[in-house]
Amino acid sequence: MSRSMQSNGAGPRRPGDREDICPVCKSTRYLNPEMRFLVNPECYHKMCESCVDRIFSQGPAACPIAGCARTLRKQRFRQQTFEDLKIEREVDIRRRVATAFNCQESDFETLLAYNNYLEDMEVATFNLLQGVDVDATERKLAAFAAQNAASISANNAKATETRTAQHAHTAAQKEQARLNRAGATRADVASMAEREEAHREAIDAVANAKDEPGQKVVLLKKSTARRTAAEKARDKQRQQQQQQQLQHPGDSTDHEIYKIQGLKPVIHPPPEKAYDPFGGMAHTPVYYTLQSHYEHPWLDRARTDPGIVAGGYDLREYYHRTMLAAFAGLGCFIDEEMGEKEKGRGEGDDKMVATEGAAMAAAAAAGADRAARRDVL
Amino acid sequence: MPIADKKLGEGTYAVVYLGHLKADPKRLVAIKKMKVNTAEWRDGLTMDAIREVKYLQELSHPNIIALHAVFSSKNQNLNLVLEYLPLGDLEMLIKDVDGIRYGTAEVKAWMGMLGRAVWFCHENFILHRDIKPNNLFIAADGEVKLADFGLARSFADPYRIMSHQVITRWYRPPELLLGARHYAGTVDVWSMGTVFAELILRRPFLAGQTDVEQLELICQWIGTPVEENWPGVSKLADYIRFDKGNIQPIRGKEFFLSTFGTAGPVGVDLLMSMLALDPRKRSTSRQVLEHKWWTSEPRPTAKEHLPKKGGGPEKMGEDLKRKGGEIPASRGDSVARRLDFSAMR
Repeated sequence: MSRSMQSNGAGPRRPGDREDICPVCKSTRYLNPEMRFLVNPECYHKMCESCVDRIFSQGPAACPIAGCARTLRKQRFRQQTFEDLKIEREVDIRRRVATAFNCQESDFETLLAYNNYLEDMEVATFNLLQGVDVDATERKLAAFAAQNAASISANNAKATETRTAQHAHTAAQKEQARLNRAGATRADVASMAEREEAHREAIDAVANAKDEPGQKVVLLKKSTARRTAAEKARDKQRQQQQQQQLQHPGDSTDHEIYKIQGLKPVIHPPPEKAYDPFGGMAHTPVYYTLQSHYEHPWLDRARTDPGIVAGGYDLREYYHRTMLAAFAGLGCFIDEEMGEKEKGRGEGDDKMVATEGAAMAAAAAAGADRAARRDVL
Repeated sequence: MPIADKKLGEGTYAVVYLGHLKADPKRLVAIKKMKVNTAEWRDGLTMDAIREVKYLQELSHPNIIALHAVFSSKNQNLNLVLEYLPLGDLEMLIKDVDGIRYGTAEVKAWMGMLGRAVWFCHENFILHRDIKPNNLFIAADGEVKLADFGLARSFADPYRIMSHQVITRWYRPPELLLGARHYAGTVDVWSMGTVFAELILRRPFLAGQTDVEQLELICQWIGTPVEENWPGVSKLADYIRFDKGNIQPIRGKEFFLSTFGTAGPVGVDLLMSMLALDPRKRSTSRQVLEHKWWTSEPRPTAKEHLPKKGGGPEKMGEDLKRKGGEIPASRGDSVARRLDFSAMR
C-alpha cells in the first residue's frame, strides 16, 4: 500500500484515484493496483469500477452508500475530473445551466440587460448548488429551455462557428509563433554566451556582497504575507456575499419563469430573390406586337430557298429588327428629357452662384466642360 | 483621358497596355492599340478594329466588356480603352483541373452570364461569331464578360450573304462547316453549347485539327447531317456526300446523359437543344434563357463565390492581342496526337 507501489500501477492517475479503499467493497489498492473510482452525478458517491459493474449491470439500482437511496444508472458513472467532488458537482451544474443560458453580451442592447440576465443565471445556479428551492428552480429552468429552444440552438450554432474560427486563428498564430521561434533560436544561440557571462558576473557580485541574500529573503516573505492577506480578504468578501444571497433566496421565486429582457432584435437576412436568367433586362415592345409571319412577295424566296433556309437563316429575326427600327424613337421626348436634365444640373449650380449673370456664365462653363468630355470619349 | 502605364502583351494584331484614368488613378483600364498592318490593309483600318469599335460602343451590358473610349495616337493608330478584367478567362479555369474544382451550380452561373451576354447581342441584332472560353473574361467581382468583337456583325438582311469562315473551328457549327452563307443567331448558340460541354468535360468537346476533321467529330458525337434529320442540308455549298454505311443517326438523350450526366437530365436537355444539328431546330438565345434549367436546382452560385484564379494583367494582354478566330498555338498543336486516357474512363 505504499505510495511508491501505487505510482508503479497502470497508467496516469486521475484525481479520484488517490483513495486506496473502496467505500463499498472495501477492496484495497494493494490487492488491485488497477482500481479506478467512478462517481455518478446523481449523488457523487464514489465507488470502484468493479462495484459499479457488480451492482448496476442488471439495470438501475439504489446507491449502496448508507443513507443515500438514490437510483443510479451504470451509464452515467464516470471518472471525476476534479479532486474535490464539490467542485465536480458545481462544474456539472454550471455546465447544465449554461446550456440554457447561452446568450452573449453582444446579443443585448445594454450592459444592464446583460447583467440582469447573468443575475438570473447565477441565481438559478446558486439555487441548484445550495439546494434552495431545487424543484421550483428545475421546473423554471426546463420551462425556460423549452420556451427559448430556437434561440438557444441558434446561439449554440453561433458559438460553434466562433469556436472553429478561433481554432483556425490560434492554429495560424501557433504556426507564426513556431516560425518566429525558429528565427529566434538562431539569435538565442548567438546571445547565449553573452548572457552566461553576465550571469556569472552577477553571481560573483552576490558572493562578494554578504548581506544581500538575507535582504532578499525578507522581501520575499513580505510579498507572500501580502498575498495571503489579500486572499483572506477576498474569501471574507465571498462569504459575506453568500450570506447575503442566503438571506434573500425567495427573490427568484417571485416571477414564474426567467425572462430574457433587452435582447437586440435579430435581423434575418432577406430571402434570396428567384434567379432571373435575363438579369432583369428582358423587355417587351410596347407599341407593336411581333407576329411570326408577315406577307410580302419579296420575302417569299427567303422562306423557301433551301440554300437560305437550310443554313438556319431566320426571317423572324429580320421581322424583329425591322419592326424595332420602324417603331424606334416612339415615346422618346428629347426636349422633356433634356429639360429635366438641365433643370437638375441648374439646381445644383444655383447654390454656388448668387446672381443670374453668374449662373449663366456657370452654365456656359459647364456646357463647355461637357463638350470637352464628349470630345475625349 | 486614360494614361498608358505598361505593356501587357504584344501580338501581330494589337499591343495591349495597362492604363489608368488621369482624373482617377485608381480606375484601371486596358488599352488595346491596334497595329496599322501595312501589308494587308494598305489604306484604312482593319476590319476587326472597325467591327470591335462599331459593336462594342453600342452594347452596354454587365456581361459584355465595356468600351470606355476610342482615341487615335500620333501615328494614326487606333486605341480602344476597354474595361480592365484582371482575373483571366474561362479557359484558364477549365484547364486548371487540379487547382480549381467546380460543380453544376458554378457551371450554371457561368453559362447564365454567357447566355445573357449572347442574348443581349442578339436582342440588339449583333452576331458575335467568336464565342469560346478564352473570349470570356472574368471581372474582379467574378462576372463573366464576353469580349473580342473582331468577328461580330449585325444580322444580315434577306438575300445578303455572310462569310462562313468565322468562329474558331472547335466552336463552329455544322452549317458554317458546310458553307452556309445565310445563317442566324443560332450559330452563336452552337458555340455556347460547345462551351457548356467544355465546362462540364473540362477539355474542348469537339477539337478538330482541320475543318474536315471537325465535321467528322460532329458526325461522330452529335450525328451525321442528312436530308432526313436536316431538310435541305444537301443544298448547302460545301455539302459532302456521306457514305451510306457510315451514317451516325442523331445521338439520343441516353448518350448525352452518359457523357454529361453531371449537368443532370434538365441540363442535358438544354445542352442537346443548343447542339441540335439543324439550326432551325436549335434553340435561339432567348429560348436558351427561357429554359427551365436556370430555375431548377441547384441555384447558380453567386458571382462573388465563384472559383477564381488570378490571371493577372499579362493574361488579359495575351488574350486581347489575338486575332479573332485563332486557336492559341500551344493548345491545338498536340491535342490529336496525344493519347487521351481521360476519355476512356
